[in-house]
Amino acid sequence: MIFLLPVYAIILIINVPGLIKRKEWRELIAFFVFYTIAFVLGLMYVLDITIPSPMKGLNCLISDLLGLKYPKY
Amino acid sequence: MTKTLTFKVIMCLLVPLLLSGCLGGGTEINDLEIVVGMGVDKDKDTGKILLTAQIVREGEIGSNSGNGGGQNAKAFWNVTATGDTIFDAIREMTHKTGNRLFVSHNHVVIYGYNIAEEGLQEHIDFFLRSHEMRPTAFILIAECDVSAVLDAKPETEELPAMNIAKLLKSHGYTSHFIEVNLKDFISCLMSPTTSPVAPIVEVTPGEESEDIYISGMAIFKNDKMVGKLNKEETRGLLWVKGKIKSGVLLVPSPGKQGKIALEILEAKTKVTPKMENGKIVMDVNIKVDTSLAEQATIENMTTLPGFEKMQKIQEEVIKHEIMAAFEKSKELKADIFGFGEMLHKKYSSKWNAIKDNWDDIYPDIVLNIDVKAEIKKADLLVKAPVPG
Amino acid sequence: MTNIEKGRISGPQLLFLVSGFVQGSVMLIDFAVGMAEKQTWMVILAGLLVSIPFVISYAALAKRFPGMNVIQINDIIYGRILGKLLSIYYIFFLFITLSFNIRDVGELYTIFLMPNTPFIFFLAVFTATCAYAVSRGIEVLARISYLFVITGIFVSISTTILLVDKMDFSNFLPLFELPFIRIFQGIHIMVSIPFGETIVFLMIIGYTNKDGNVIKNTLSGLLLGAFSLFIVAVRNTAVLGITQTIWTAPSFQSTRLIDIGTVLTRMDFLVGIAQTVLIFFKCCLFFYALLLAVSEILGLKSYMPLVLPLAGIEVIIAATVFQSPLDHAEITQNAGIIYSLPLMLVIPPLTLLIAKIRRLPESKGGKVT
Repeated sequence: MIFLLPVYAIILIINVPGLIKRKEWRELIAFFVFYTIAFVLGLMYVLDITIPSPMKGLNCLISDLLGLKYPKY
Repeated sequence: MTKTLTFKVIMCLLVPLLLSGCLGGGTEINDLEIVVGMGVDKDKDTGKILLTAQIVREGEIGSNSGNGGGQNAKAFWNVTATGDTIFDAIREMTHKTGNRLFVSHNHVVIYGYNIAEEGLQEHIDFFLRSHEMRPTAFILIAECDVSAVLDAKPETEELPAMNIAKLLKSHGYTSHFIEVNLKDFISCLMSPTTSPVAPIVEVTPGEESEDIYISGMAIFKNDKMVGKLNKEETRGLLWVKGKIKSGVLLVPSPGKQGKIALEILEAKTKVTPKMENGKIVMDVNIKVDTSLAEQATIENMTTLPGFEKMQKIQEEVIKHEIMAAFEKSKELKADIFGFGEMLHKKYSSKWNAIKDNWDDIYPDIVLNIDVKAEIKKADLLVKAPVPG
Repeated sequence: MTNIEKGRISGPQLLFLVSGFVQGSVMLIDFAVGMAEKQTWMVILAGLLVSIPFVISYAALAKRFPGMNVIQINDIIYGRILGKLLSIYYIFFLFITLSFNIRDVGELYTIFLMPNTPFIFFLAVFTATCAYAVSRGIEVLARISYLFVITGIFVSISTTILLVDKMDFSNFLPLFELPFIRIFQGIHIMVSIPFGETIVFLMIIGYTNKDGNVIKNTLSGLLLGAFSLFIVAVRNTAVLGITQTIWTAPSFQSTRLIDIGTVLTRMDFLVGIAQTVLIFFKCCLFFYALLLAVSEILGLKSYMPLVLPLAGIEVIIAATVFQSPLDHAEITQNAGIIYSLPLMLVIPPLTLLIAKIRRLPESKGGKVT
């Protein structure tokens, strides 16, 4: 928990000023989108909220719905 | 320019400080009890597992070199604890030791014969699964109480467990037993047909204190101990497995009376399994080189005809040892030689049909033993020191 | 289209990049043993044979469009909408496979080396190091590839030599014991994971020098990497024999058996180092490809701002995508290798075919490469 906030603050500090100074707006938007996702995920992890695993979803889709899997032995 | 240089220098100094060591996982040596040997027994009263661990006392090692006052503080400490399973008992030990047991240096695992007769399967998982244990640890069966074995302070070594490991590694001198480590043991356990063997250790009363003595091998059927091999029979087993390094072959003198001692220099074994007409035949070819080490007779054996005679008798002796082992294994229906696996590797399709009946098929195996012995030298004497 | 990546790598560097990448899957061999047992060596060889034509197609595709990466190529061949969709499939693959690999390293440390340290700590430190390495560009990765490949090969070969006296080659008999479906699954795993993941290089080969001999170097790298995996599989089967299947990581256990002169014992740390370093390299390449691909598809000028946020996302995903190593193994052996199959076996050769048919890219003088 105590790692979360400083680390994300540092990430912000390293990246944002340079982007604003160089007026790279597109990059700034992309940065903020991913940054927010990362922050939300980090928050969820720290607060013990279950994060949906993309692989579990894919696994359900392929193994259960489509039935493509190898037999167990 | 200097700014980036100082930055780099600072990073070089900081990074090792921050990265080395571990967070919450680092343990000092003082917080660990280093275990060099473990014994598993059955507690007579409660029926639970009685675990004995031999822990090294730091500070004592090296300070008592040689026999500086034999009764001085022992360099080790045997702690016992009971538990329902081995891991349970290990953690129970912290009630007595205060520190966690560190089993990474564990050299021997000794099972008491009562546990061995009941079955080892239930008590071996921890030694394999624990990430600190090494598969090179030796496994032994004790004839008596395990704690007695671990208590017997040896004369030349400080720690009994290390002493036992040393004894096991010296099997080459007599080839009367062989070291079995955890990996070898479970290889046999996992095979559906092979019977594992393990050396038996006992404590014999010596002059001042007790001596550790490795007296033979225990035969297991699956995981239960069912029988023993004595020295001769063990040699027979090792002849077939090709694990003879050196040893003494005592042959009766072909002449008048007395015995002759031959030293085994090198032995090569080749076993060929054959399945013919529904009968299983094992061709065992052994090529042995020996040297005349001692003759306890008057007649001079260092002659060509003498050598020939001795070679013949030698071959008989070896065949006898092998047959003794084979008879014992047939009696117990235990495939200690690994013949089953040899057939498996050569005739895998036919193997699947017979492997379930292996217990019944095994005693019908025909063993063709062919030994070629050659005496290569007679050391320093060309004639026995007799008059005339 | 100006390129985000300005660096260039040489032909031999490409070879070592590919080799180091393939070697990074050495831990995977340990997982495959549960399935292929004593036939792991032949599964590796068979997987290699199956993969060779596909890997050649990846290199040929990249060669056809020099200086471009696959996202750009997809746009040219498939048009803007379909091309972007395929690129998203590719990016998803990079994203999730990177999280699997980061998790692999975490599992390695948690099970064997430092079991008391919290799992996410390894993931975070490891990913941070990856992020740092990648932020320097492909040239740096190419330069260190020599070192990693040599370390990996050195450890594989030296541990094998030290274990020669404990090897029993009859452990390979009988040769064809297992039912074919298991062998097939084993081959599928080999094709998808060590060899198929080289589609990562579709983002990288484009930046090789002109006389880089792309196809030859990529293929040689693949063979060198596969050779290292092969040796490890043979060593483990010969030394451990029938017990091979019970261990979580046979490579560690077989190295623990080295016991020469009471001095050369406990060599498993060597294996730990080599595996960490190689997986690190693999993750760096994945991460680099991911960054470049995402930046390319969003039309950014540089991938630098995305390094840390993507690293953060990867760490959390790696920590939560599976519940335990068991989960990881089971899902990877089934759905994990199936979903990526079209991406590895169908799309690049198809792209190459379409490029050939439509004679793209048009080069000066109308001469088609």
